[in-house]
This record gives sequence, structure tokens and C-alpha cells, in this order.
Amino acid sequence: MNALSVSSVTFSYDGASGYALDHFSLSVAKGRMHALLGPNGAGKSTLMKIVTGQMRGYSGDVLVFGRKMPDRPALLSIGYAPQPISLYPALSAYENLRFFGAMAGLSGIQIRDRAENVLSLTGLVDYARQKVSTYSGGMQRRLNLAVALLHTPKLLLLDEPTVGVDPQSRNHIYDMLASLHAEGISILLCTHMMEEAQRLCGSVTLADRGRVVFDGPMSEVGDLEQFFLEKTGRGLRDA
Amino acid sequence: MPRLVLELFRKELLLVARDRQTLLLLFVMPVALIFFLSLALKGVYVDKIIGQKVAVVIEQEGTSPKVAKLAMRIASSSMIRRVERPDGFDNHRLFEAGRAQAIVRIPDGFEQGGRPVEVQFDPVLDAGYRIALKSLVSGLTLEVVMDADPLETIAAAFVVEKTRPNRSFPSPLQQSVPGWTIFAMFFIAIPLSLGFLREKSDGTLQRLFTYPVKPSLVAVGKVIPYYLINNVQFALMFFVGVWIMPAILGLPFDLGGHPWHLIPITLVTAAAATGFGALIATCARSAEQAATLAATLSVLAGVFGGIMVPHIVMPALMKKLAMISPMYWAHQAYLDVLLREASLAVIVPKLIVLTVFALICFYIAGRRVQWI
Repeated sequence: MNALSVSSVTFSYDGASGYALDHFSLSVAKGRMHALLGPNGAGKSTLMKIVTGQMRGYSGDVLVFGRKMPDRPALLSIGYAPQPISLYPALSAYENLRFFGAMAGLSGIQIRDRAENVLSLTGLVDYARQKVSTYSGGMQRRLNLAVALLHTPKLLLLDEPTVGVDPQSRNHIYDMLASLHAEGISILLCTHMMEEAQRLCGSVTLADRGRVVFDGPMSEVGDLEQFFLEKTGRGLRDA
Repeated sequence: MPRLVLELFRKELLLVARDRQTLLLLFVMPVALIFFLSLALKGVYVDKIIGQKVAVVIEQEGTSPKVAKLAMRIASSSMIRRVERPDGFDNHRLFEAGRAQAIVRIPDGFEQGGRPVEVQFDPVLDAGYRIALKSLVSGLTLEVVMDADPLETIAAAFVVEKTRPNRSFPSPLQQSVPGWTIFAMFFIAIPLSLGFLREKSDGTLQRLFTYPVKPSLVAVGKVIPYYLINNVQFALMFFVGVWIMPAILGLPFDLGGHPWHLIPITLVTAAAATGFGALIATCARSAEQAATLAATLSVLAGVFGGIMVPHIVMPALMKKLAMISPMYWAHQAYLDVLLREASLAVIVPKLIVLTVFALICFYIAGRRVQWI
């Protein structure tokens, strides 16, 4: 069983002339780390929002561990770190974790234990009681990820987890992803950091303008940028 | 489920408690309004004739005993402070310099009706003072012309001004405290809508929907804390109005015969105010738009609803238009309790109007939140 199966999903935004996703398919095998790459407008974030139940009105199927989405209990098996830093700046790291942990149905004791764990994993233990508004961009990005990990999800959806982050924090995040992968967590990674994607992920989906242009093992790709250029006539970093 | 709601409440209350601007807007601004406006309006609602004295130049154009008698009677009135005309000051300059607010000229032979007593007012003098001064001069002139007893003594046998037993006249606090409290309660729309739109733009609201939490629960968790804050605002404003302001201003604040009726009024007014906030939050497209809309509509509702301008002094058309403002119904309900000692049967229709307003707001907000 795949951790995530997306089959022929088509979606367009109200008032938009084209499709944000056009018969889009991909799958993430259980325990694998899969990269989803594409330039801006490829449909990566839209796909993440559809999988996490934020968007309705699409055609096609989305299955998470075999359960057809939207399915509220299945949402608990997903840990989602959105591209924008989606945290409450006036609350401390611990208060953010407590709040989102409660939303995920964790008990008070579970939240305490898990919060300690994820704060330590993200290197934020010493800053747990500080307001998030006082954090650097890298620290906020790590906390954004910590919130996604709090309820021990089996599938991690990461939308540009290292955007706007200094090299030190970026390395910290990628080391963390490698260890989570080693623990058997399935990961779908959307990123512009192609070198890291190639190093960490065993498979890749390349997308352009809402369509899949390649889906297969990373080993078949070679030079990612060159490969994408050959497939689409556009650079992977094009806006 | 209750734990989820409690966590949603906790988060919302923490966000409000840590936002200084919101605390200023919700608690400090209305207390300041009550304090300064009660002070400023003291003279409007309290017996203005006792509260302030009008500076009057009294000029005698003759030496007859009746002229002297009338001048003496006017000058000895408690509402008058007699001033002398400084050298070189004509009437125009007297008013311009603020030396006098009225000039009374008593000509010789006025008692024969040929040459009437003249009263000239400073054009900016309040209409209430003008009427009072004119009737005072008219009454005293009649007394002197007819050699009668003081008219007030005669009239007392025929007309008596009465209030309810054991009640004094309403104080400015009883007028202004409920008004500004309602006004502040509707200002809850600003932090409520700003908080909602901020969460929408920074993605925390969307993130919340990636958990198995019902949107209706999220909405309840957002609105109920503000509803509770509204009730706390009421308690604070009334605490200031009933116990602190009377000590400072020396004015009484009587809660009326049925103070417990204030509770249902406050609960329903808070529902209307938070409903209004929820409506703004779901209709506005940006935080800036929400803040502008909430502030503008609250001020307009205050103007129409008789908060800023007493309903009683409005022209007929405005009095009718006032009924479109939820603040009008809330204000009238409070005044029913504080000033009119009305029964619950008189208050209930006003509460029904406010409830319908709240339900309409929540219904539209609920419909609009579907796509957010």
C-alpha cells in the first residue's frame, strides 16, 4: 500500500482560465522519500492543499494509506508543514505546539512529551518559552516543521521547508529529514533545492503548469535541471 | 470536544491579552470616553441653570424705582452673574471678548409697555440658556410691572415637578455610561475581524483545517472568547460608571429598580456585537478593509443609535432612521432599566430585535465562511 496515491486529479481556481492541476498523478511508497519538483505555478502547493483537505471541488482520487480523501481521521496520519510560516507569533513555541497538539487530539501528557521531543529534534529546546515573534527566520521554519511532527504522523508533506533559511538551519532541517526517513516515515518533499532533493529522495515527480512531466526513480534523472529543460523547454527555476 | 473548544478559547484569549492595541481599544478607550464625556456633558444633563451662571450686563436707562427694582431682581437670580461693561466695549466686542453672554437693557417707563425691556444674546450661547434667561427676564418683568408676588411661588400652587418616589433626576453618568459601553462593545468587531483575517493571511487558519477539527468548532472557538470579552467590557464600564465616576464627579448613578434586567440586555447586546464582528470578518478581504469597515460602521451606528447625539434631540427623520442601528435598541433597553424602571415586558421587544440582528449576522457569516 502506498502512503499517498494521487490519481488523475484535476482542479482549477475560481475565475482562472487554465487548470492548476491537470490529470495529475503521483504516488509515495510507504517509508520512501519522494521529491515533487517544478517551477512556480507547477501546482505543487495546490496538490498539498488538496491532500490535506484544504481544497475541495477537484476530480480524481487522493488516497492516504488507502483511505480516500477527504477523510478526517486520515488527516491525523499526515504531518503538513506549509510554505508560509503558519504559527501564532504572539505565542511561544511551546504554546503553539500545545495548541496544534490539542487540535490533533493529543492529551496534555502526550503534548508535553512530544513537544520536548520535537523541540529537541529541531534544536529549539532553549527557546521553547520565547514568543515566536522573537525568532529568526530559520528558527521559525524549524518550529513550523516541529508542529507538523508533533502528532507522530506517518506521512510528512513538506512544502518548501527551507525557503528563506540560512545554510546552518537548512543543513539542520535536511539532517532531520534524513533521520525521519531512516525511522520509516514517508515524506513528500516540495523544494527548489535540487541538489538536496537528489541526495535525499529515491523518487521524483517533475511538474510543469499543473501536469506531470516525469514520475520515476531519481536515478533515471541525472542532471535535474538539464532533464527538466529537455522535457519542457523551460528551466526548473523559472517563475 | 470540550478540550478542543477550551484550547481554541485559550489561544484566542492569549492572543488578545498580548495585543496592547486591542486592550487599549477594548478597555482603555471606553473608560476614557466615559470619564471625559461625562465630565464634558455634566452641564447638559444636570440642571444647567444651577451648574453654570450666565454673565449678564444689566443696563438701567432711568432712575425710576421700577427700573431699579427689576435690575436688582434680575441681578439676584441664581442663574445670573452680573458683570459691568468695560470702557469702550460695544455689545459686539463684549461678546467677542467673552466678557458677557447677554445684555439686558431696562428703559425708563418699561412698565407702561411703550418701551420694552431688551435682551440681546451672544450668538453662540446655548439655546437652553437663552430660553431660560428669556423666561427669567419675562417673569421678573411681569412681577415688577404687576407688583405681584414671585411667579414661582404662585405657580407652585398649580404645577409641581415630580419624579418617581425615592428617585432623583437622571445623572449624566446614567445617560453616558450605557451609551459608551455599547459603543465599546461594538468595537469588538475590529480585533475580531483583524484576528480572523490575520490568521487567514498567515496560513494558521488553513493549517487548522488540516487537522480533524470541524470548521463550525473553529468558528465557535473564535467568536465565544470575544463574546465573553464583551461581557467583561460591560462589567468594567459599569464598575467605573457606578462606583468610580460618582466618587470623582460627585454625581449619583442609580441602577434603577430592576438592575438584574441589565443581564439579559448585556448578553443579547454582546451577541449582536460579536455577530457584527463575525460579519465584518467574513465580508472583508483584507485586515485594512476590515478595520476601516468595522470602525466606520460602528461610528455610524453610534451616531444613528443615539450614542453620540441623544436620540431625544434628533429630528423626526433621524429618529426613524435610528431604528436601523442595533445600538439604538441596546441603548433604549439600558435606559429603560436605568431611567424608566421599565418592566421586562417593555424590554423584551428590544431584545428580540437585537437577537434577530445577531442571528442574521451569524447566518451570513456562517454562509461566507464556507469558502474561506
